[in-house]
Amino acid sequence: MLTEKNRNNTPLIEVQSVSFSYDAKHTGRALNRVSFFVAKNERVAILGHNGSGKSTLVKILGGLQSPTEGVCMVNGKDIQDMDFRELRGIIGMVFQDPENQIVAAMVEDDVAFAPENQGLPPEEIQSRVDTALERVNMTRKQGASVSALSGGEKQRIALAGALAAKVECLILDEATAMLDPKGRLDIEAALRELHAGGMTIIQVTHQIEAENFDDIQRVIVLGKGEIIWQGITEEFWGAAEGLGFDLPDEFKARKYIDSLGLTFPDSFTSITPPAPKHTRKTDGAEKFRIEGLSFRYDEASYALREIDAEIPAGQWLSVIGRTGSGKSTLVQHLNALYKIQEGRIYFDGSELPQKGAEVHALRQKVGLVFQNPEDQLFSPTVREELAFAPSNAGFRGKELDDAIMCGLKCSSLPESFLERNPIALSGGERRLVAIASVLSAKPDCVVLDEPLAGLDASYQKKILSMLAGLRDDGRTVITISHDLNMALNCSDRILILKDSKKVQEGTPEECLEALMNILEPEGWPDVLRLSNEIRKLNKNFPLLYNYQEFISCISQI
Amino acid sequence: MYFTNITLGQYIPTGSFIHKLDPRAKLFSLLFIISAIFPAKNIFALAFWTALFVLVVYASKISWHIILRAARPVLFLVVFTFIFNLIAVSFSKDFTQGLIRAAFMSSRLLLLMLFAVMLPLTTAPLELADGLDALLRPLERIGFPAHESAMMIGMALRFIPLLMQETDKIIRAQLSRGARLDQGNIFRRVMAFIPVLIPLFIIIFRRADEIALAMEARGYDGGAGRTRRKPLVWKHVDTVAVILCAFTAAAFMFL
Repeated sequence: MLTEKNRNNTPLIEVQSVSFSYDAKHTGRALNRVSFFVAKNERVAILGHNGSGKSTLVKILGGLQSPTEGVCMVNGKDIQDMDFRELRGIIGMVFQDPENQIVAAMVEDDVAFAPENQGLPPEEIQSRVDTALERVNMTRKQGASVSALSGGEKQRIALAGALAAKVECLILDEATAMLDPKGRLDIEAALRELHAGGMTIIQVTHQIEAENFDDIQRVIVLGKGEIIWQGITEEFWGAAEGLGFDLPDEFKARKYIDSLGLTFPDSFTSITPPAPKHTRKTDGAEKFRIEGLSFRYDEASYALREIDAEIPAGQWLSVIGRTGSGKSTLVQHLNALYKIQEGRIYFDGSELPQKGAEVHALRQKVGLVFQNPEDQLFSPTVREELAFAPSNAGFRGKELDDAIMCGLKCSSLPESFLERNPIALSGGERRLVAIASVLSAKPDCVVLDEPLAGLDASYQKKILSMLAGLRDDGRTVITISHDLNMALNCSDRILILKDSKKVQEGTPEECLEALMNILEPEGWPDVLRLSNEIRKLNKNFPLLYNYQEFISCISQI
Repeated sequence: MYFTNITLGQYIPTGSFIHKLDPRAKLFSLLFIISAIFPAKNIFALAFWTALFVLVVYASKISWHIILRAARPVLFLVVFTFIFNLIAVSFSKDFTQGLIRAAFMSSRLLLLMLFAVMLPLTTAPLELADGLDALLRPLERIGFPAHESAMMIGMALRFIPLLMQETDKIIRAQLSRGARLDQGNIFRRVMAFIPVLIPLFIIIFRRADEIALAMEARGYDGGAGRTRRKPLVWKHVDTVAVILCAFTAAAFMFL
């Protein structure tokens, strides 16, 4: 299982039969007899679903948690016997949320934090900061204020913060999970260069990304606290689906193309494109009509500018745009969280109420689920959480019980969950409860901000089928997202915003071109990017975004 | 709309002369100014300190818009002081005197707050922590955790803007679920905020936990043996600023 190169190297990290349990009785172990090693200058991925023990392993590898049993060796020494400073000069860590790692207000001050803790003289600290910023390609931002950076840039600052300690090994715990495609690619580019420069990299993640797997040499899969698979990356692809990991579409598609031995420039002349999808029929009723809506937070700039849109009842609308394009501001007008400054909104044909009891009635009809809604749970039991919205809307007695059961049914969670404490549930289950806690008030229209963000593939599927079910039930579904896969393959209509203005509105087919113009290719669905590449070689190939359709077109060749 | 417009505790870098002053000098100056404004008894003193404040704002190159926004949360206190004084004095004496006294008391408080607000606006949180650390250091001899307290204040300031955003989001989410945060008597209103406070506390604890872990991962182990990229350097201009503040403050207090 080892490559020749690794065998000759001494292991940098050696984990020997490490176990960990959070309770003293050593029942329910978070980690159970985990053993593996990481050689110098290796790049290893540790994969695992939520609850597999990854986070615990990260803390143990970083010396931030002592194992209950077993030892973790770094450079042949037990971490437990190592001097704190010595260890911190070998292992650097980058965590998921950039906001929770940045301690200073200014970029340079933050990157200086680690060398300052090492007690270095000022000149040495400054040179470490300069080098670290250069290695993550952020030199031009050295004098900037951290709050002015994008999520991806903040994460690169966190990376520089770890590098400034002159570490030999980087441990990344879901470090790209909260970033947009561009941010992910920038981090990946920096990691590739660091790896080429001799850095040992351990990446802990729950999801395979096509962009980094050709640089990762070995994969270790963790399941329920134990190692269930380990081997070189090429072998991992064959085993992935059996281990419960979805392969990226791009990977599957490329493999299929290779298996047919296709070369594109001359291998086909014409192809029957897939039949256009039937557009969902409605009775023509509008749920919302927006006319000339403008909004600004301050005098200086518009958050929304003259937006006109129609949202048909009983359909699924995706609102697409980059961060800061005005998506959230727009949808928060729909349940009067923002008051209309300019323009008009009609809801079911009459003007949207702006104050008083009518606003309360509106908020029952238009449910809004914010990003990471699990952060807003507050009740001691799931039952009380589900009862909050309907009882605020005036549901009592049997009606309220009905509403709770209706919410639970939407979430597809079993009835036994009603008496459980939301805080004790897994991340995916909490997301389902949080969405259900809005649906329990039986809204006609539900708006969700990035409903899939940060979830495992299995929970993403559950939420997608929940939303499709709501739509088939005749309710209006509105999602905000930068996930084009969901917008193109699941929703009926798309509304595109750019720089506070509407760019286009229509069916996924009608909007495809505009979407490709405003979002970089790295944000496109894998299949769309591939079909676009093929189209560059041969114009007869259609632009596609659905994996099945793509495969059927390829098989025609 | 709810909490996003508050810039309390935020640092606004402009690179001005005020920003470049040593944090210790700023802390000392603020201390002198506050102790002079507290007992200020006449309109001339207030006029002088107001003029000084305007001067400081211009020197800091921070827009008035931001400063007034930062001061907004304390306005409630100022208005409360005004009304309280007006009622109290009007009852014991006459209305005009009550009005004068109320105006005097509330503008004194406002001025105090405005000067205090300028400190975090012009000093980066960690720099402020360094300054406090240096000033509190002598107390370490009697067992006071100087470095830890200073670091805590610095980190709290760093995270205030973030927590404001979180609070805003939670309020919006609970309003969306039909929460009524603005109806009923005081007791009901306080109870209505439980759905906001519980998630906020959970978020604060989770963040605190993650930040502590991230700081440890970067080798933070308390203040011992820690050096600085830009060690605090006391310059002549700092001495001048502190002496000027001290003299003016003394002059107003004793003359």
